[in-house]
Amino acid sequence: MKKYWKFISILVVILLSIGTFYVKSATSEENHPEFVIKTQSGDAKEIEPLILDGYYSDTSTMNYKSTNVKISSEGSTYERRSFLDQIIGQPPAVIKVYQEKYRSFMRGKGTNVNSFSETDQVLAYADVDYKTDSFHSHDFTFPISILNKEDGSVQSFTVEIPDSENMDYAFMEDVQMIEDELYLITNNMIRSSESSYDEKHVYTIDLNNQTITNDETLSQVPEGQEGNHVVAEIIRTSPTEANDHLILLQKEIKVIHDPESYREEVVKQEVISYNLATKEKESIPMSDLPIDSELSFFDGSSIYFIGVEEQEIVVSPYHLADGKAGEEYRLQLSGDADHGSAPMTTIKDGKLYLSGMQINPKLNMNATDVIVADVKTGEILFKGQITLDDSEATNQYELYLHEMLVE
Amino acid sequence: MIEVKEIEKRYGRKKILKGVSFTAEKGEITCLIGINGVGKTTILKAIMALTPLHKGQILIDGKPIDKHSFEKITFIPDSLTMLPHMTINEAMEFMKDFYTCWNQKRANELLGFFRLDPSSRISSLSKGNTAKVNLLLGLALDVDYVLMDEPFSGIDMFSREEIANVFTSHLIENRGVIITTHEIGDIEHLLDKVVLLDDGLVTKEFSAEAARENEGKSVIDVMREVYQK
Amino acid sequence: MKKYLQLVNFEFNRIVKLFTVLLGITFVAQMIGVVVQSRSYLNLANEKMYKEMMPQAEFLESFGQMSFLQIAKSSWFFGPIALCVAGVAFYIFFIWYRDWIGKNTFIYRLLMLPTSRLNIFFAKITTILLMTFGFVAVQLIMIPIEIMVLKAMVPNEFRLDLGVMEVVTSIPELTLIFPSSIMEFIFNYGLGLLAVSVLFTGILFERSYKWKGILAGLLYGALAVVVLLLPLLLHEFVLNNFFYPIELLVLEIIMGLLVLSASIWVSGFLLKKKVTV
Repeated sequence: MKKYWKFISILVVILLSIGTFYVKSATSEENHPEFVIKTQSGDAKEIEPLILDGYYSDTSTMNYKSTNVKISSEGSTYERRSFLDQIIGQPPAVIKVYQEKYRSFMRGKGTNVNSFSETDQVLAYADVDYKTDSFHSHDFTFPISILNKEDGSVQSFTVEIPDSENMDYAFMEDVQMIEDELYLITNNMIRSSESSYDEKHVYTIDLNNQTITNDETLSQVPEGQEGNHVVAEIIRTSPTEANDHLILLQKEIKVIHDPESYREEVVKQEVISYNLATKEKESIPMSDLPIDSELSFFDGSSIYFIGVEEQEIVVSPYHLADGKAGEEYRLQLSGDADHGSAPMTTIKDGKLYLSGMQINPKLNMNATDVIVADVKTGEILFKGQITLDDSEATNQYELYLHEMLVE
Repeated sequence: MIEVKEIEKRYGRKKILKGVSFTAEKGEITCLIGINGVGKTTILKAIMALTPLHKGQILIDGKPIDKHSFEKITFIPDSLTMLPHMTINEAMEFMKDFYTCWNQKRANELLGFFRLDPSSRISSLSKGNTAKVNLLLGLALDVDYVLMDEPFSGIDMFSREEIANVFTSHLIENRGVIITTHEIGDIEHLLDKVVLLDDGLVTKEFSAEAARENEGKSVIDVMREVYQK
Repeated sequence: MKKYLQLVNFEFNRIVKLFTVLLGITFVAQMIGVVVQSRSYLNLANEKMYKEMMPQAEFLESFGQMSFLQIAKSSWFFGPIALCVAGVAFYIFFIWYRDWIGKNTFIYRLLMLPTSRLNIFFAKITTILLMTFGFVAVQLIMIPIEIMVLKAMVPNEFRLDLGVMEVVTSIPELTLIFPSSIMEFIFNYGLGLLAVSVLFTGILFERSYKWKGILAGLLYGALAVVVLLLPLLLHEFVLNNFFYPIELLVLEIIMGLLVLSASIWVSGFLLKKKVTV
């Protein structure tokens, strides 16, 4: 035994030292504070289906490592991102569900929610594919797959994108399916001699013939107006619900050259409703509200234009069916929340959910709002704040929220 | 019995062994004789699977060599293959650890016979003593066959005598020995069998005793005949 | 098994000197680093607060507290670690070639041991692993000691205390050596082991076929890399992202084990049939 002492002692040192290190790291609950949604008014039941996803970082140690955190009515749960999670990645919740339910169909289809459309019968997928060489892109196609949810059969085909000679790139903004037609809403970047510009297209695809039957350009650079350009944004919808209308917020932007810089000014703003099936375009009258396309929402029958004004969220509904604007209402945000930066919103089952995105005591943001309101009337059903459970706890941290789920 | 059958070996383009065959019996001392570079050492290495062959086969008691063979056959190269910083004691300890056929009693006997101090470091030994330690480590193994590569080269006269004495002692008795040399003066009288090598081939394989008795020739005489032809 | 352990012990004893010397250098250099960095921080504090009459609060505001990270980021700390890494890298080759060089060519003895020659391969790769883990383990013991010295030198109010875990996870270079989860540890060092096994095979090719062997070794290495990356390449360029990430991970692990077994098999073959002394 004596001649093995060096070998045995290094073995013991290795096992003890490295063992202790990893046992400690696995068992030590990092000291993360508990966040809660404190009720200020209304019924706390309203926030039960709400889950906020974000990340927390302790700023006291100079190491900017963040931990995933989920905040719900029950408080906060931290999830250290394991090695496996880092490899597997975190697809959006909708995609995760699809991947679990339709594992083989979802193979190689990426994690872009906009590429999918689900109805009772089918799950449709379409994407933009193209080849790139050093100078330009070519061979633009739509790979399309339709899964029949009942019998599990899959229809897959590829169609060439027409008029794609001058396209630099394109991406899928939305996919909708109505009966036997698939509507692909894309954003195409077109190369021209002077500059490049974006176009929004709606391609109609007949699933029986597997051909493109219509290609509609929804927004284009206006003729003549020197220096102006048009930006079109699609108003958000629920990714899992089918819509037969597409709502576009189209802004004409003028670039103003100052001596040393330039700025942009919105000259004209227009909301267009586009009926996918009939291809009818209709301009929707709107008040001169600030409208944020990231916040606004189209639930299939009504559009809710949402914007931020000072410390208020302004919501103005518009009902598509009767073409009438609803009553505008405002939701007051608390003074110290986010310094006016936009919150997150989502609409589900007639309720508007709203949450701030950041808490950072260093910037004097100690809490952020959570509001649930009746989306039609603006009646507040719940109002509260995300804040530390123990207000005496650390103030050297940052909390960022980035996803809002209503189950 | 060690059977060497038609073995061929090249180094690059150069053929060193062109189909060498001979046998070495247990209980006999077989001597491979040839000028330097004729491939004597290569044959010993090949028997121990220390270098690959291009053709041919070597059998030890009818079987090709495997890991168990190293308890039956040992090789004493022309230089000591132990770590220089070890003492003789440590070297013996190493051998005892790895070989079940290590015979410590015989090792001690050899230590006394060679008058070696077991606590001395290998790196501090004289050339003669190093050769003796080398021999000790090989002969203290209870093996059937011992291969020795030039055990006398570059060693002083007295050590040579001591080593030669080993061959006539019980330390060698009943074992099969293959020894290589390019000068046979000191050991001619010890040999049972001689294998003459030239240009990659066995030119003559004969029994030393038979040559003496039947033809009245010494090994040197036979060699002279062969090489001056 | 017993022979293997004896061989490991023997091989380890052959590097124990180099190993201890490197550890000694590491300890001394890092200790000097702790003292030098702490002194220079304290000198700065003295100068600002007593000569320039800067209030303590203002000093802390503009220069920050002293933490172990300042030490860990200095070359006093990193230099010796790099030296140990270089030592291991060098020894991966030397562990084989040292047996062939010099007039006491020990490889004769090793190859003539009455045990499978593959045990020599296993013993040498285990020794490399022992050496590596030895450095990692002792470094993990040194850090708390160094932290204690820092605590003794810098007063409380100027100091930000960090745990070992916080230190090693804050510096990206250190997380390679000390990954924060056991899974990553196994993954990183598994990959390292794989690389060493491929290098060993390359060395044995060279030892068996000399110049041609170098070429064979390089080809073997390239083949190993291609086989290892095959699932990723297929996934990316041929199969249109067919696999889910977890499947890719499993495939990669299988490929890794495949390359490892191939290395062991080829090394065993070379040692048994082709190696030459």
